[in-house]
Amino acid sequence: MWQYRELIRNLTFADLKNRYQNTALGFFWSLLSPLLLAGVLYFFFRHIFGREENFAINLLVGLMAWRFFTTGTASSLGAIVGKAGLVTKVYIPRQILVLSSVLANLIGSLLEFIILLPIIFALLGHLPVTVLLFPLIHFVYFWLIFGVGLLLSSLYVYFRDVNYIWDVLVNILFFCTPIFYPLSIIPDYLLPYYLLNPITQFIGIYRDVMVAGALPSLYSIVIVVGFAVAAYLVGSLVFSKLQRRFAEEM
Amino acid sequence: MSAIFVDNISKKFRIPHEKKNTVFQNIIGLIKRQFDYEEFWALKDVSFEVNKGEALGIIGRNGSGKSTLLKILARVLYPDSGSVSLDGKIASFLELGVGFQPELTAQENVYIYSSVLGMRRKQVDRVYDNIFDFAELKKFENMKLKNFSSGMYLRLAFSTAIHATPDTMLIDEVLAVGDEAFRKKCRDKMNQFKAEAKTIVFVSHDLNSVKELCQRSIFLHEGKIVTMGDTEKVISDYLAMLQGETHNT
Repeated sequence: MWQYRELIRNLTFADLKNRYQNTALGFFWSLLSPLLLAGVLYFFFRHIFGREENFAINLLVGLMAWRFFTTGTASSLGAIVGKAGLVTKVYIPRQILVLSSVLANLIGSLLEFIILLPIIFALLGHLPVTVLLFPLIHFVYFWLIFGVGLLLSSLYVYFRDVNYIWDVLVNILFFCTPIFYPLSIIPDYLLPYYLLNPITQFIGIYRDVMVAGALPSLYSIVIVVGFAVAAYLVGSLVFSKLQRRFAEEM
Repeated sequence: MSAIFVDNISKKFRIPHEKKNTVFQNIIGLIKRQFDYEEFWALKDVSFEVNKGEALGIIGRNGSGKSTLLKILARVLYPDSGSVSLDGKIASFLELGVGFQPELTAQENVYIYSSVLGMRRKQVDRVYDNIFDFAELKKFENMKLKNFSSGMYLRLAFSTAIHATPDTMLIDEVLAVGDEAFRKKCRDKMNQFKAEAKTIVFVSHDLNSVKELCQRSIFLHEGKIVTMGDTEKVISDYLAMLQGETHNT
């Protein structure tokens, strides 16, 4: 794959350019939707959860982290089918198509988190030192999304309703993840299952290192790394099996 | 030295009676117990070798397996059995302009297409001017590709492709597009590649250009090699078979 690094770079930047319509403002337009969602959620839920510590910042951090997962998986889902020419007319290692799509999302997400830093600083009055751990967490998150992307994109070639199914699953997952409500409202008997959700753990870690200034617990690190490794292994195994007949199925 | 070594490959396509391409249809199919499909052998026990610097032609009627064979050589399709070994840098021209993006400029697309063909940025920098000179598109380099006419698009794609300097080229009918002037340019370039001792596999219905380019050819029929050898002989076998068929009907 290393010998195709030029192609990976080109596809990633082409993807970014297409997404932001070649303008610097395009990036800010793309920020509008999560910020609006954050505003709406804040407006309605502040009366219920407003007394939670740092409700507004935690909401923003949670939404940004969530966004990387949804946009990353949704755009990598179509990475193979959407680039039919590069699959049926020429040989390239096909993982590249998924990788470059997730990389473009990674760059977008990094920019969004960078925008978040001054906001956190303004609302909190300081930036915790633990924010330096952010790149490490984001790297693990990236592998989880890449793994899921490999799985979804290869299944999508064979089953063209995978995108609808995934949409529904993602919507359910949104409500099963403490983004706009605190973890404390979950009843005790459900909590152990709840904490198995890797996105819950990721969001918890982002809030720990970016807002609370705390180190993540060993348990959450085990969960996120475990899920990232498992997703990547399963994703690349399924992908390499299914990719043999990609060109026939498209 | 052989540049391409094809050992006994077969390729089977499955043609389902009812195309199921959603999870939903597959579940329904499972319940109704419909998994029936027909098997169709696009290639059956095909073996051959291409030496370094040789141009090999592949001819045959529509549906004889020519394109399937070329796609297997291009590593786009995988054979069900047998093996293929390829040596050196391979460029497949199954279609020109793979990966071109209409929203980006000609310049950006040249870099993208070159990297699809396995070139590094520095190598493209060196031939960048030649690409635009050959395509006669220098003054359009900053125009978005969606505003190109189809002829301009084709010239840019072809020019980028031939500057990728592969050792082996797999060519499928791409020369059959464009106007007469463009086709002549393509033929000249192919002959130049031949003179430079590049390995070429050429699939075409145009028997004259096969005769002109290739010393050796393969005649495929229903996925099997009928004759292989000197192009003149292979073409006359092919024509004889076509004659025979028209007599029978």
